[in-house]
Amino acid sequence: MNALLGNLYRFFRSVKLAVVLILVIIALSMLATLVPQGMPDEMYRARYSPAVYALINAFGYQRFFGSAFFLIPVLFFTVNLGVCAADRFITRARTRAKRRYGPDLVHIGLLILIAGGLVTALGRHEVALSLVDGQEAALASGQIVHLVSFQFFKYDNGMPKEWISTVRVTRDGREEVSSFPIRVNHPLRLSGITLYQSAWNVTGTLTLTDAEGKEVSPQPGDYFEQNGSRWEFTSFEQAGDAWAVSFSRYRGTEPAPIETRLLRVGESIGPFAVKAISATQSTVLKAVSDPGLAPFLAALVLLLAGLGLTFIQKRGDNPI
Amino acid sequence: MMATIALLAIALAAVLQAGFLLRRENRRDPISHWLLAAAAALLVATLVERSIRISFVAVTDTYESLVFFSACICVVLFALRMAPKTRGLSPFVLFGATIVSLALLAVSSSPLAPRDIAPPIPALKSFWLVLHVTFSFIGEAFFVVSFVAAIVQLASVTSERRAEMDRLVATAIGIGYPIFTAGALVFGAIWAETAWGAWWSWDPKETWALITWLVYTAYLHTRLVKRLRGTTSAILAIAGFVATVFTFFGVNFLLSGLHSYG
Repeated sequence: MNALLGNLYRFFRSVKLAVVLILVIIALSMLATLVPQGMPDEMYRARYSPAVYALINAFGYQRFFGSAFFLIPVLFFTVNLGVCAADRFITRARTRAKRRYGPDLVHIGLLILIAGGLVTALGRHEVALSLVDGQEAALASGQIVHLVSFQFFKYDNGMPKEWISTVRVTRDGREEVSSFPIRVNHPLRLSGITLYQSAWNVTGTLTLTDAEGKEVSPQPGDYFEQNGSRWEFTSFEQAGDAWAVSFSRYRGTEPAPIETRLLRVGESIGPFAVKAISATQSTVLKAVSDPGLAPFLAALVLLLAGLGLTFIQKRGDNPI
Repeated sequence: MMATIALLAIALAAVLQAGFLLRRENRRDPISHWLLAAAAALLVATLVERSIRISFVAVTDTYESLVFFSACICVVLFALRMAPKTRGLSPFVLFGATIVSLALLAVSSSPLAPRDIAPPIPALKSFWLVLHVTFSFIGEAFFVVSFVAAIVQLASVTSERRAEMDRLVATAIGIGYPIFTAGALVFGAIWAETAWGAWWSWDPKETWALITWLVYTAYLHTRLVKRLRGTTSAILAIAGFVATVFTFFGVNFLLSGLHSYG
């Protein structure tokens, strides 16, 4: 029994094994990037031939990083890393060798990082909250998020500049956060849950009247033909304090529009006049609870400290 | 305009280096590294000007990334040329890395990297993104040196030259690796968590950055722990740089994911 454990210990403390496992993980990771990961099943069915689709499904290729093909080498690597880290401590204590803590910190940091990844994979929860101004939603942690206002700012060229969801958070009627502007890269961190600016939506109704005064209510994507081209209703757009609608003109099968018009109430396009536009803008906040976040951050600190220490000690040995 | 002058300065530096190499005198030219320093200053000035115009640090599109990467290579070459231990930086390595810098700048002038100045979209407006991009490219600039030195190592006929190149490869990777780790993996993961709420998504760019890091990790373990020198470690250094280039160009143009910003 002791001989078996000894053999296992010697096997797993090997740097050669570490290098081989690293090369295996590299090869598997390369293979995984050949097929998009985690997409809906319809995407794979549409994109690949039936034979390739069957292969992807059979091997779980669409979720490769969660499959046994990837996780088993990672498990071996983790054991190898742990044994190597322990072996370094033991060897140094026995031989009183030169103290090099940098690589130890890196190895421990990596072990914590892998553990954090596992905790995240098993315990991370994510919920999308779609809210309009004044609406509220309950979080799993017991708080209530109230959307005070949602604002969408654009640059002069029409590109998005900022989405700001200003929220208030209460628990049991008591105010925990009086006002917080959630933006992309500026999440609201509550105890155990974080709110991220994720997306936004506009839903609405457009009412047009045709030349005979008959009312129609097209949806985005609907179109009409005029002089050999087609005008497509593309989206609702905020124009100052009022809402407008955007129509794009396409010729033949060309993918890019040849003309785009922004119409307000009372304006006309082809045989149609815009009678009424009513639209509502909503924000989508992502509520995430990730118990792996704390070990992840601790691992990064250790990793950086270890690399820095290793570099300083190596530089001391052999200055450039 | 400043980037064009920088391109000319780097081209002139490459011509000077090539001239000295062709004379086979094994002397280092005394001027080209100063030209590289001047080019780096001009490239940084280009980015400062763009930063003022977009009111953010201009490292958010392909053109700006290429300009910054090229500037980093010039600075690293200048620093290695001036450092006491590497003052005798092989003229072959200096020339090869200068050519890489020139090639990156040439790509930045091509239609692959539009020069239009566009303010950053919300996801890119992050201090962590700036750290992620800058540290990654500084680390990768050292990988350029290691790549060229590894090629020279493989092409060398004398054992002294091979040993000299082997040391240079190890030095360049030894410096570049922690900087790249901090930039590509640590700051990148923190940015991803802040922007999208997930610190790792197995996005193709993330996966290829990890592959690059693993190749250099394998190099360091073979070279520094197992004391393996010679062809194998040189090939690993070259493979690391191939992965670096694929992470930057290949993923941008062949694979889509969170890092595709048009």
